[in-house]
Formats: sequence, C-alpha cells, structure tokens
Amino acid sequence: MSTSRLREILKTFRRNPLGVVGVSILCAFLFVTVFADVISPYDPYERVGKPFEKPSTTHLLGTNDIGQDLLSEMIHGARISLGLGFVAATIAMTIGTVVGVVAGYAGGIVDTILMRMVDIVLVIPFLPLMILLAALLGPSFWNLVLVLSVIIWARPARVIRAQVLSLKERGHVVAARSTGGTVAHILFHHVIPAVLPLSLAQLILATRTTILIEASLSFLGLGDPISKSWGTILYYAQARSAFLTGAWLWWILPPGLLISAAVLGFAFTGYALEETVNPRLRGRR
Amino acid sequence: MRKFLLGKILQYAIVMAVVVSLNFLLPRLMPGTPIEMLGGEGVWLLSQAERDAITAKHGLDKSLGQQYIQYLANLFRGELGHSYNWGQPVGQMIAKRLPWTLLLTGTALILSTSFGILLGTFASWRRGKKSDILSISASMTVSSMPSFWLGMVLVAIFAVQLKLLPVFGARSPWTDYTGFRLVLDVLEHLILPVTSLVLLTLSGNFLLMRYSMLDVLGSDYVFMARAKGMTEGAVVYRHAMRNALLPMATAFMLNVGFMFSGAIVTETVFAYPGVGRMMYEAALARDYPLLQGAFLVISITVIGANLLSDFLYPLLDPRVRRPSREH
Repeated sequence: MSTSRLREILKTFRRNPLGVVGVSILCAFLFVTVFADVISPYDPYERVGKPFEKPSTTHLLGTNDIGQDLLSEMIHGARISLGLGFVAATIAMTIGTVVGVVAGYAGGIVDTILMRMVDIVLVIPFLPLMILLAALLGPSFWNLVLVLSVIIWARPARVIRAQVLSLKERGHVVAARSTGGTVAHILFHHVIPAVLPLSLAQLILATRTTILIEASLSFLGLGDPISKSWGTILYYAQARSAFLTGAWLWWILPPGLLISAAVLGFAFTGYALEETVNPRLRGRR
Repeated sequence: MRKFLLGKILQYAIVMAVVVSLNFLLPRLMPGTPIEMLGGEGVWLLSQAERDAITAKHGLDKSLGQQYIQYLANLFRGELGHSYNWGQPVGQMIAKRLPWTLLLTGTALILSTSFGILLGTFASWRRGKKSDILSISASMTVSSMPSFWLGMVLVAIFAVQLKLLPVFGARSPWTDYTGFRLVLDVLEHLILPVTSLVLLTLSGNFLLMRYSMLDVLGSDYVFMARAKGMTEGAVVYRHAMRNALLPMATAFMLNVGFMFSGAIVTETVFAYPGVGRMMYEAALARDYPLLQGAFLVISITVIGANLLSDFLYPLLDPRVRRPSREH
C-alpha cells in the first residue's frame, strides 16, 4: 500500500466521529493493558484483604471471596480479555485472508471447495461446538485461542473473497496479468496490498466477536482459571452468588461494563474503517 | 428451481455429515486413552481385566471404521449412550429438558421478531430524527453487552433487589400448582430469561427491519403509490412493510441458531432446566456422552432451521425462485 493511499485513508477516517470515539476508547484500554502493573493498586493474585469486603478507600471495588482486590483483578483482566481476543482474531483473520484471496483469485473448483467449507463452518452453531472443544481440550489460554480462531475465520474469508473477485477485473490487475506477470507477483503487489485495509477492518470487527465469546466461555467455567479474564471474574461472581447481595454493584456491574466498552470501541473503529476503505458502504446508513 | 433445492439439500446433508463425524472424531482425537474418558475418575482403581471389559463393551477394541459404523447405527436408532454421572440414557434426558428450551427460545424468538419489526418500521419512518438516532445508538450499546451479564444484572435488580420476579428455575420448588396457577407460575419464571434472550437478538432484528424498510421506501413502486395520492399509512403498511418483511423471515430462522446458542448461557444464569443448562453441566462434569448428545441435538435443530429458511424463502419471494450463481 502506498503512503499516499494510507494518508488518504487516515484523512477520511478522522472525519468519521464514530471512528474517533472508537479509537479513543481503544487507546484508553491499550494504556490500561500496557501499564496494568503500574496502575493497579495491588497484585491481583495476592490475598490483600478480608473476603467479601465492601468498597472502601483501601479497596475501591471491594474484594472477592478469597480477599483479592477486585479493581486490580479487573485492570489485569483487560490484558487477558483483550489480549486473548486480539490474538485469536489475528489468527482467524490470517486464515480468512489467505482463504479469501486464494478462493477469489483461483476461482473454479478451488473456489467452490473453499466456499463450501465456509458455508459449513457458518451453519454449525458455534457456541455449542466451542463448548464441546473447550471441554475436550481442557482450559488454557492457547486452547481458547485455538477454539475461537477455528470458528471465526469463515465470515471474513467470504468478505475478502468478494473484494478479490472485483479486484481481479480491475484495469491494473488485468494489465499485470496480460503482460505476463506471475501469479505470485500479482498477488503480492496488487491483490494483497489492496485487500489489507479491508482485512484490518475485519480484524477489528472480529476482535469484538472473540471478546464476547471468550467472556461467555470463561463465564461458563471453560476459561483459563489461572489467568483471570473479565469473563472469569463474572464466573466467580456467579458461583459465589454475588447477585444475591449488594455485591453485584461492584462485583458484577464493572466487568460487564468494561466488556461492553471494549466491544463498542472495536465496533465503532471497525465500522468506521470499513466505511473508509470500502466506498460502496459510505452513506448507506 | 428443483436443481437449486437439490443443491441446498446436498449442502445441508454435507453439513450434517460433518457435524455427526466431528461428534465421533473429536473425543477420539483428544490426548489420553479413551478408557480414561469412559471410566471417569475412578478408572485407575480398576484391574486390567475390568478395563478390557469396559473397552470391549464400548467396542473400542474394534477398528476405527467399525466403530464409526457402530456409532452411525446407534445414532439412527436414537441411541446416544448413557450419561456418566446419571447413568440414564442421554436421549431420554434430552427429551425431558427440550420442552423447556423450546418454550424459552420460542417465546423469545416471537417477541424479538415482533418488536424488531415494530421498532424498525417506526425508526425508518422517522429517519434521521432524534428518536431514530437514539434508538440506533441504544441498540448498538445493548448488542455490545454480553447477554449472560445482562441476565445477571436483571436478576440482581428485578428478582433480588425489587423482589418482583423469581430468581431462578422454571417453576417454584415444593409446589404442586395445577391449571391457571401453574401457567402463571411458569410465566413468572419465564419473564427474565426471555428478556435477556430478546435483548440478545433485538438489535439485529431492529437494524435489519429498519434498513429493509428504508430500501423499500426508496423504491419506484412506493414512489408510484405516493404519487397516486395514497395516505402515508396505507403506503407504509399495505405496500412497503409487506416487502420489507421478507428479509425478516430469513432472520427469524437464523435467529433460531443464535437463540439456541444464547440459551446455553442464559439458562445457566437463571438455572433454567433446559438443554442448554444441561450442556453446561455436562461440560463442567466432563460428562462426554451427555455433552455430545446435547451438541448433536442443538446442531440438528439449528441446521434444520437453516434448511427450512432456504426452502421457505423462494416461496415467499418470487424474485429469488431462479437465483443467479453469485449471491
């Protein structure tokens, strides 16, 4: 991708208020994720107070059932929730982009087979399959990443393929083909660079999905019990019946709001970026 | 047309075959010997002869191909094996739980679609106005919330703090209500889980209906209807809404899948005695036959709903009876 195109994308993106809000939210989360050790008042894995303490000046959001500081847990939870979501989405998008580019460019029988695979993955209800996989594999960070990316790649693959199909017939690609450019040259110089911005938008939108599903799986007790994500915190809150007491205000409400804020941040950024790089979508809403 | 439907049937047959085979293969691909999974925790206390007996009983001493044929034969007879924890036939356990899930998801599906249609039509009518923008922002915010968390918050507010509704379950325990009292009791328990399932899918339905209405309202024949001097109400309800409803029919069927998946977490939050909660319990207890049975039943339901939607759509919309290759 040339720098002028990049600059143009940035310029259009900046004029989209939704995108600016989204990026601001993501920057705030990035800050918390990077400086979690500095910001959080306690070590989230140490027992620093009495169990079930109410919010006070020493523990702003109280403590959990074994006396760990809830605020520190949530700050560190950002690392797990966002990190896991992002890693899984990145792997899924890499698969999706490769499948989309190959299917769209090769066409014919390769396209048919790959797209049938996409159809199959899209029809299988993903949460039950993930639960089955997660239960069989056992709970761990990388198993969750694997389970998520195995399912998520299909939808982006379809979007990328559609883009490649239309790219294939554009002037400069046709010219490159008819002047004897090799397939590798055309793919790496013309097709993939043109598809990457769309891939990035899809990656951001996919992260939104992986964060939500990770939260669901962890809430069901299928997450990594050692590194606590926001979903895991909610699992313990549910298991210790926090909703039966006033504790729901500081134990259940904040992790959910954090998940929602992160998901909104990714959604806004993704939609805005998609609109910027795909002019056909502009002005549709 | 017939070729299109045959193609669809073939496609879904392949999906079914994949699901059924995954169900067979996945546990066998996992690390550890199958006897560990079959015998549960106490397997190491057994003697070699007892272990061999278990292996033979489940046909695990045969080749993989023979096991697969045996598995398929059992499946066709509706034989899903026995639960490790309960010792009961998996098929029976699921049959007992399925009505609750159908009641929950069915109610939520109907409500979510109806509200989506009403709100979407209303919003499209007031496009660009404050209420339109407000409802779009609200639906985006709600759709960013994890549905299980919404359920927990609903319980905390309406059941625990305000004491308006029951906290969990599908019926009050230790009661033997009959007739009208029983219906009332079941409905009371249904309100919160249905609400959280409706919120899970409502924003999608709302946005789809709104977009579909805007699309139709901009078309030539609506312009014509207006030009004829029809009243705005007649244009919206008699002309535009009918055609705008078409995508909602597809969305309805696809939502069956969302609802069944969503029911797993929702039923867990509300301790609702459906198939979803059973799948959760089976996953935690590593009760593999039960887990696989639930997975199979949920998958078949969802795939069936997808197939149905592909068959119904051409009946509803004459324009797609001869579909082009690229869609």
